Amino acid sequence: MSNMNLYSRGDKLFVIVNMVLIAIFMLSTLYPFIYIASLSLSTGFEARAGNVVLTPVGFTLEAYKQVLSEPQFWTSYKNTFIYTIFGTLMSLAFIIPGAYALSRPQLYGRRFWNLTVAFTMWFNAGLIPFFLNMRDLGLLDSYFGIIIGFAVNGFNIILLRNFFEAIPQSFEEAARMDGANEFQVLWKVYMPLSKPAIATVALFCIVSRWNGFFWAMVLLQDEDKIPLQVYLRHVIVELSDDEEFANSLLTSAYSFETVSAAIIVCSIIPILLIYPFLQKYFSKGILLGGVKE
Amino acid sequence: MSGVSLQGLVKTYGDIQVVHGIDLEVQEKEFVVLVGPSGCGKSTTLRMIAGLEEISDGDLSIDGRFVNNVAPKDRDVAMVFQNYALYPHLNVAENIAFGLRIRRESKAVIDASIKEVGEILGLTPYLGRRPADLSGGQRQRVAMGRAIVRRPKVFLFDEPLSNLDAKLRTQMRAEIKRLHNRLGVTSIYVTHDQVEAMTLADRIVVMHDGRIEQTGTPMELFLNPVNTFVAGFLGSPPMNMINARIESGDNGPIARFGELSLALVDTPTMRDAIGTDITLGIRPEFVTVSTQADTHGTIPVDVELIETLGSEALIHATLQGEPFIIRAGTVGQMDVLNGISGFSVEPNLIRVFDAKTGMALPDQVMKQ
Repeated sequence: MSNMNLYSRGDKLFVIVNMVLIAIFMLSTLYPFIYIASLSLSTGFEARAGNVVLTPVGFTLEAYKQVLSEPQFWTSYKNTFIYTIFGTLMSLAFIIPGAYALSRPQLYGRRFWNLTVAFTMWFNAGLIPFFLNMRDLGLLDSYFGIIIGFAVNGFNIILLRNFFEAIPQSFEEAARMDGANEFQVLWKVYMPLSKPAIATVALFCIVSRWNGFFWAMVLLQDEDKIPLQVYLRHVIVELSDDEEFANSLLTSAYSFETVSAAIIVCSIIPILLIYPFLQKYFSKGILLGGVKE
Repeated sequence: MSGVSLQGLVKTYGDIQVVHGIDLEVQEKEFVVLVGPSGCGKSTTLRMIAGLEEISDGDLSIDGRFVNNVAPKDRDVAMVFQNYALYPHLNVAENIAFGLRIRRESKAVIDASIKEVGEILGLTPYLGRRPADLSGGQRQRVAMGRAIVRRPKVFLFDEPLSNLDAKLRTQMRAEIKRLHNRLGVTSIYVTHDQVEAMTLADRIVVMHDGRIEQTGTPMELFLNPVNTFVAGFLGSPPMNMINARIESGDNGPIARFGELSLALVDTPTMRDAIGTDITLGIRPEFVTVSTQADTHGTIPVDVELIETLGSEALIHATLQGEPFIIRAGTVGQMDVLNGISGFSVEPNLIRVFDAKTGMALPDQVMKQ
């Protein structure tokens, strides 16, 4: 803290206010995690009574036993992985070539195409036209519908395009003089040079796919195809009205609240595990295209 | 014959013409340097030869083949870029082999080529390293390795040394020259640095505003610049310029400026030009310094500053209020330099330009 002597009183005040605000923000983000984790590890009685505040009360793993013994949980977990992995790959397969094309100065009508892509960031057809469109294309209730239907995202294309544009032109020119065609320039030069940007875009795709709930709910009826998030909704909405389930709670150590919390924890874990490795790309991603090197 | 021929080469961007019809014949094995200030069109001309810029008008032939509409990869030229353009994700060997891999050469050929190029450029110990782990000079050599590995007919260099520090630049300059002597490949080199041009070139092409001002060997251009632009551009420090008028003197034509005068060579052209406003060009190294300003034929100057560079010194002086630089040896001369009050110059070492057109008066040939 000896360095604080270098700061004026105003600066010190600024630092203190910043720290307080950041601490409040951090707690407000962290607390829901702690609360849900504690809830999932508490007994159903304490959870229902609202006694869980910070730490588990009457520690038990019953809620998890209940969740993990349910076949539908594993089916939807598997589906979420399918949508996330194949959806992300499909997105990258569209976004990378799209961004590369938009970054080329020689692209005919480049401004128009860029505007067209940017337009979709603010305006879209809306719920019902999109649903009807998917229905007419025969993409309701199918894995492929979810994977292809949300593969292209204007924001990610623009993000990656900006990164491609910042790569010095001489890399491309050197490759072209060496005999590389357009595809080879992208595959052998631009993509390896853009790993951080592609990782960022992939991460955005992974997170949005993993958390994707609304459209899966709208487009999927078949229980064998729903992802974890939709299954969670089923549990919350449907089991609360389920008399049989309600009766079973009377004799068990879990409750509706602890089961829901356990599913949420299970759904967070994979993202939580990969996040530390990809976190650096997230912060880089925010700066993408902002600075020309 | 792997020469390059440019005939009336023009480049326009929209309505703006930046290269106004370049005519140049580069002979096989020749090392030609395009030199000029920023924006003179030298890089654009090089990029048109490489195929990276479309040719708006004119003809370009490489090795006798018309290549205006030939893709860069099929022109059989290789280019070294200013920022090296080394792929950071590939190591030195992979960078050198990139072009060969793209052209699907066999592994045996690629390995042999990497080995050969590594040896030629002294890169063998670094073949496994990434560009980020190399020094500036080593990166520069890798960039050259990538160019020579393909055995092209023509090498193109786009200011390849401008990112290096002064010492390394001198070192790499000599390496480029040695490499050219060894490989004997036709080379076209772009730079704004006249020292690079003077030291490397078999022939220098001085460009200005999208046009060629003069073409010739370094010494031709240094001794006999055709105009004030070339005179001022080549040489370090540049040629001193003095506004004067040719008058008739006792022993032939003289250049008069104010109260002072300098004897000029007595040729018919000079005599015909009596009464003409001229610009006198005097190289800083062509003058003889004097400590006695009142001696006949000595032009007095006011010394402002002496920069000692070791074996020689730059004397920054003023002549009738205008800057005048003298370059002189220092060894055993420091007393003289500290007492300088004027200079003299042989008439045949003075270059005379027409003040209106900036062109050198005809019939002045300084021998090498």
